[in-house]
Amino acid sequence: MILNSEHIGKSFGRKKVLKDISFQLEAGSITGIVGENGSGKSVLMEIIVGMRNADKGTVNINGGIGYCPQKAVLFPQLTVQEHFIYFSVAYGIRKEQSKRRCEELLNRFNYKKYQHEKIINLSGGTQQKLNLSISLLHEPDLLILDEPYNGFDWDTYQRFWHYTNHLKTLGCAILIVTHLLSEKERLDNIYELENGVLI
Amino acid sequence: MTANRIFTGLSMILRMLIRQKIVIILILIIPAFFLTIVEFTTSDRVLPFQLASLDDDIFINISEKGISFIFFAVASSGFLVSFLGLNLIQKNNIVNRRLIICGYHPIELLISILLALFLVISLIAVYVGLLTNVFYPIDHLVRFILSLILIGFVYGGYGMVVGSLLKVELEGILMIVLLVNIDVGWLQNPLFYAEAQNQIIIKFLPAYFPSQTAIITAVTDYSATAAIVNSVLYGSIFLFFSMLIFFYKMRTK
Repeated sequence: MILNSEHIGKSFGRKKVLKDISFQLEAGSITGIVGENGSGKSVLMEIIVGMRNADKGTVNINGGIGYCPQKAVLFPQLTVQEHFIYFSVAYGIRKEQSKRRCEELLNRFNYKKYQHEKIINLSGGTQQKLNLSISLLHEPDLLILDEPYNGFDWDTYQRFWHYTNHLKTLGCAILIVTHLLSEKERLDNIYELENGVLI
Repeated sequence: MTANRIFTGLSMILRMLIRQKIVIILILIIPAFFLTIVEFTTSDRVLPFQLASLDDDIFINISEKGISFIFFAVASSGFLVSFLGLNLIQKNNIVNRRLIICGYHPIELLISILLALFLVISLIAVYVGLLTNVFYPIDHLVRFILSLILIGFVYGGYGMVVGSLLKVELEGILMIVLLVNIDVGWLQNPLFYAEAQNQIIIKFLPAYFPSQTAIITAVTDYSATAAIVNSVLYGSIFLFFSMLIFFYKMRTK
């Protein structure tokens, strides 16, 4: 088991956003979480990756974690390549491996021509490609994706799912927040977050 | 903690600073603008005054123009460094958080930021010191530049505290302008200070010790050791608080 979360609870003031949420993720699986806007999906993701404290409950993760936030979280003044260098150093990836991964991800999501561009000059879709690539850079065991394809064109969307399925075959556990019910058939498990409870 | 992470962080922070045109424009223009205004608006009348850090019987004789150049050099350095301290801590808060989740230790990131700030403080101090020397020859230029590094240290720390506490840049800039204007831009002016009704309040403001150091080192042969030590202490307190807030905000669960 890659992820085991038990009895997670979170309130903001009087509003209970998450009530006693428990679920597990197995290696080589894709799990989706759907829910209305403001239902607490992003809060749950932030608790799992450690960006937020839960009021109660525990999260146990076995292995490396990759997190792609909903909005592109990048340095506006740095280039795409500089982001790869900076985050490779953060992950502790060796230079040669970093170069190889950087090349692979730039080609896989078809944005190699922008590698020397500053983020501030890129379209929202290209920023999102980098946002996603950063979470994949270190080949994580658990991938948490919070609506990762916002701004993607159809071709990139297809490339994204192709690669996600490839990661699944390699044993990666993938948790994806989505509001597209049309993606149901791509998922092994699907949960709906409603009134703070996973159904 | 690895040197590689710290130097990569430093290199990226400096790249980001250099690529912000407004930062370069502010650094180049503000001191030149302040000093040009002084050149055209002050007289050469000699004004004897006393400094709180020196003995009561010591009077410093310097022209109104001379003391104004020194005073405005300190003020412009303080403002610039404080703005940069704010910028370094506040601007990329969320991405820094992401770096920490990806494996950076908050200490590694903080050391990178502090090294970048120290480099910028030194550059600004050298630039402002040399520029002041063009307008008004400073007796002890190297010591004067060191005193500008001190005001940078104190106000850089203040900028970092403000940047750590406030989320919105505009609020941060207002906080900086408010204190810089009252403290360095007004109350620490020795001409005002000598006649001030309540000097105790002025002595507790951040620019007090660095301003005293700047004037003593620039135009006298007296020792400024006490003022230097107190400046370092004051700056360290700001730095300590900004570090505490930074760690609190950057902690992962």
